[in-house]
Amino acid sequence: MSADTDGRPGPGVTLTAFAVIVFLQVPVVVVILAAFSTTSYLTIPPQGLTLAWFGKVLSDPAYLSAIRMSLILACGSTVISLVLGVAAAFALFRKAVPGSEAITSFLMAPLVLPAVVIGVALLQYFSLTGLRGGLFGLLMAHVVITVPYIVRSALASLSGLDLAVEEAARVLGASGFAAFRLVTLPLIAPGLVAGALFAFITSLDNVPVTIFLITGSQTTLPVLIFTSVEMGIDPSVAAVSTLLIVATGIVLLLAERRFGFHRFV
Amino acid sequence: MIATRHGLLLIAPLALVLTGFFLVPVLMLLPTSFGETVPGAGLAPGVWTLENYALIITDDYYREVIWRTLGLGFFVTVACLLLGYPLAYLIARGPERWRVPLILLVIFPMMLNLVVRSFGWIALLANRGLVNNLLIELGLIATPLKLMFNLTGLMIGLTHIYLPFMVLMLVAAIRNVPRDVEAAAATLGSSRAHVFAAVTLPLSAPGILAGSILVFVLTISALVTPRMLGGPTYKVMATLIYDEYMQLLDWPRGSALSFALTLMAVGIIWLSSRLTRRWAGMA
Repeated sequence: MSADTDGRPGPGVTLTAFAVIVFLQVPVVVVILAAFSTTSYLTIPPQGLTLAWFGKVLSDPAYLSAIRMSLILACGSTVISLVLGVAAAFALFRKAVPGSEAITSFLMAPLVLPAVVIGVALLQYFSLTGLRGGLFGLLMAHVVITVPYIVRSALASLSGLDLAVEEAARVLGASGFAAFRLVTLPLIAPGLVAGALFAFITSLDNVPVTIFLITGSQTTLPVLIFTSVEMGIDPSVAAVSTLLIVATGIVLLLAERRFGFHRFV
Repeated sequence: MIATRHGLLLIAPLALVLTGFFLVPVLMLLPTSFGETVPGAGLAPGVWTLENYALIITDDYYREVIWRTLGLGFFVTVACLLLGYPLAYLIARGPERWRVPLILLVIFPMMLNLVVRSFGWIALLANRGLVNNLLIELGLIATPLKLMFNLTGLMIGLTHIYLPFMVLMLVAAIRNVPRDVEAAAATLGSSRAHVFAAVTLPLSAPGILAGSILVFVLTISALVTPRMLGGPTYKVMATLIYDEYMQLLDWPRGSALSFALTLMAVGIIWLSSRLTRRWAGMA
């Protein structure tokens, strides 16, 4: 086999690939640079260097309450989705219910439908039932959009499982639930953590469903950024975005070091 | 094996939540789409009309927005394929030690808040943004290029947003291409380009199709990036639905548009799964 037919990427492919990698990081770098600018309008490269915008964001009650709301929704919906999703995936995996293929499609359907359609459907539904603006309705909306990620990762983890291990625990006298908790759950845990991380980020990221359901001042962080960009840009938007970038980066690196996150993507 | 009774108990809570907060709300949108709005008073009672759907099909403005949405989906998909394939190839076939860092650099922007990424593109593409400033400073242009509130801006932004999905799909597909088939073709005298065109590319076709469908459907459904980079005037279907609901308060027309968009997304997915099954049947 000659050197240039062994399927290794040549210099042209490698260069293009690196250019694409740069393209993927460019807006991230730009946002971070803009956050440190001393001018009140957005300039790049930044004129001077200041941390003032971070101070402004972290002392702004609107941003703080939006951050709190986002975290409550993301944590709440991830936990609810985990409990409901893992239970459902377990039953589906064991073929314990008839029509499991159809049910799986149903559980995955919120991923297929455009998010904006789910948003307007819930807007009408919540307006009719009086749930609009309440935390319960928002939480359930976020469960709907996050649970497919949990079901998918739970089903994928379970399918890689050796059934004999759990059967062995049952033979040795463990109850069904004990066998699940002590044997199956630890084995599928890394896949579930990855799925939970996706669910958490999906909730934290969401605008197209959330924006139809919030009323008045009780907003989430991405919706607040979204609406403040429409009103005009100032560097505090870049500062709060930078905080999100740093948090995302740290979570991604931790997940990679702890359990090799890239294997689950 | 666990009993059916236990299985149903395990699945019932989630099924109930999804029925109550997804299925029923979406189905309740259907009668609305056949209704009519009385300005200032909401839905007219007892009206059953096809007018909303007829308008989507016949009205020039709606047709323009629909074609623009589909065109955007097509162009973004092609751009993601052209940019994504070399990167996916490098990740799948390049040096082993580059693999994980490169994948992480692909995942990182994907995990990052969509609003934040779109905001980054506004800073880059605006009239006084980084790209225009740079080009003017270099003396390449005299007046700023119009990179936002048009097809160019939406294409750049949406390609950036959905490129990671395409890359990850393609990496999996390229890694599945058996190396010895390529080696056999090379041994039999095929040039490098011919091995790629005749072996690697066709064998990664299922991944190309899956990635393309995913990117296309995500693009035509996108709300946030088109709104932020397209502004209030350059509209696609999702932003039009948003306006019908939040600004014009014409829910019947908004829900008819919602079903049109859903039909496109689901139709494309259904078509591709049929196509894939046909392919699998031939193999």
